[in-house]
Amino acid sequence: MKHARVLFNGSELDVTVEENGQLKSKADGQLINETDVTWLSPIKEPGTIFALGLNYADHARELAFEPPKEPLVFLKGSNTLTGHKQNAYRPDNIDFQHYECELVAVIGKEGKNISREDAMDYVAGYTVCNDFAIRDYLENYYRPNLRVKSRDSLLPIGPWLIDKDDVGDITDLRVTTHVNGELTQDGTTADIIFDVPFLVEYLSKIMTLKPGDMIATGTPEGLKDMQPGDKVVCEIEKIGALETYIVSEQEFYGDKY
Amino acid sequence: MTNNPIVKGKLVCVALNDASQFEAMQAEFNEAPYKSAPTQPVLYFKPHNTWSTDGATVEWATSEGAAAESMVVGASLAVVFGEECCRVSQEEALNYVGGYSLVHDFSLPEVSYYRPDIKGKCLDGSAPIGSVVVPAADVADPQALTVVTKVNGETVSEMPVSQMVRGVAELISTISYIMTLQPGDVIAIGFPGQRAPIKQGDKVSSAIAGVIELNNVVGRV
Repeated sequence: MKHARVLFNGSELDVTVEENGQLKSKADGQLINETDVTWLSPIKEPGTIFALGLNYADHARELAFEPPKEPLVFLKGSNTLTGHKQNAYRPDNIDFQHYECELVAVIGKEGKNISREDAMDYVAGYTVCNDFAIRDYLENYYRPNLRVKSRDSLLPIGPWLIDKDDVGDITDLRVTTHVNGELTQDGTTADIIFDVPFLVEYLSKIMTLKPGDMIATGTPEGLKDMQPGDKVVCEIEKIGALETYIVSEQEFYGDKY
Repeated sequence: MTNNPIVKGKLVCVALNDASQFEAMQAEFNEAPYKSAPTQPVLYFKPHNTWSTDGATVEWATSEGAAAESMVVGASLAVVFGEECCRVSQEEALNYVGGYSLVHDFSLPEVSYYRPDIKGKCLDGSAPIGSVVVPAADVADPQALTVVTKVNGETVSEMPVSQMVRGVAELISTISYIMTLQPGDVIAIGFPGQRAPIKQGDKVSSAIAGVIELNNVVGRV
């Protein structure tokens, strides 16, 4: 089942996404057309957002890095989250902002010291995120730092959370990004260096994982600069296609600019 | 693990903000892997599994069942937001502060600042926050505060906020241009560069004289 959260007539609704694309309210079964809602992040109470750097063998080569021997994990604030078909902004006066299409495993059960064998019992399901980065802001301190990776709106996620069992095997899913209709990133989760069971085991040795925690598993090669007006679609086979519109900093913040 | 009722959304900590540490590290900053000194505040999150309370016992870190060799602690003034804070100037920054508290950052020793220190900084219950938020109106000037930390009654650090590389208002402004801060978000504005080593069973107490205190005990494996 696909679980989503939307804004409909001013209220936040938990919905399921039906076969025909219609949304069905979990509260009262009302059917709603997608065109009448604003999509929200599908994770109602977001916990810790983990993201992986350099976790695809092909992408590590693209950035001229040796594939890491240990996962490169960083954290993101919940201020970064936004839903499907929403705006994300390009900061003023930068040279290079790129998307990163990523498979996200969402934790469904609390656990510590989880073994690789048991890891998938702790995963509720999957979604797609676009883990934007502003490369201009990289510095060699806690790299990639919060200025690069924890900005408002720069982690679109969704459109929905799909139950783990509806997806099955995640070890060879196609991962693509289209910018304005052009295919710019085309990889497979088969190139993931540290897979979901490994990451659940690794992180849960350090800390307790809780429902709502998310693990964004990194991105394959194929980076491209983003400009206001661009439409970016990040898609993972069997999971979903996440659409995002790039706007300027001024347009995004409006009165607060 | 005890959750904390004060911090709601984000706990953002500022590293390398002790001016004496920052100066002492200049030569190191110019070498690999850093290659140059940081131009921006060096920030890290303490995620929600770390949030804890005054009086809580802080678990000693273990890895694969084995006790960690060493742990350290630092204390910081905690700025607690009272209202949404998005892209504010230094001049208006303090208007968004609901109040002040203290935070302890228990961690593995800070060996490197090159990569995010998930292993060192994300230990369960490793970020206790004071039991009260002192209203901003009761603190005339946060820059005039000094955070004193004692381990087993012995003073291990005295950190005046005025001796930070960046002050409270500047940090609020800079961070608010990166991420919108919400009521209940917290910024720990800076820790002593020399984190205090601790042992299992130690009592760690920090205080801002006359304003607030925070007491924790280090657990035993």
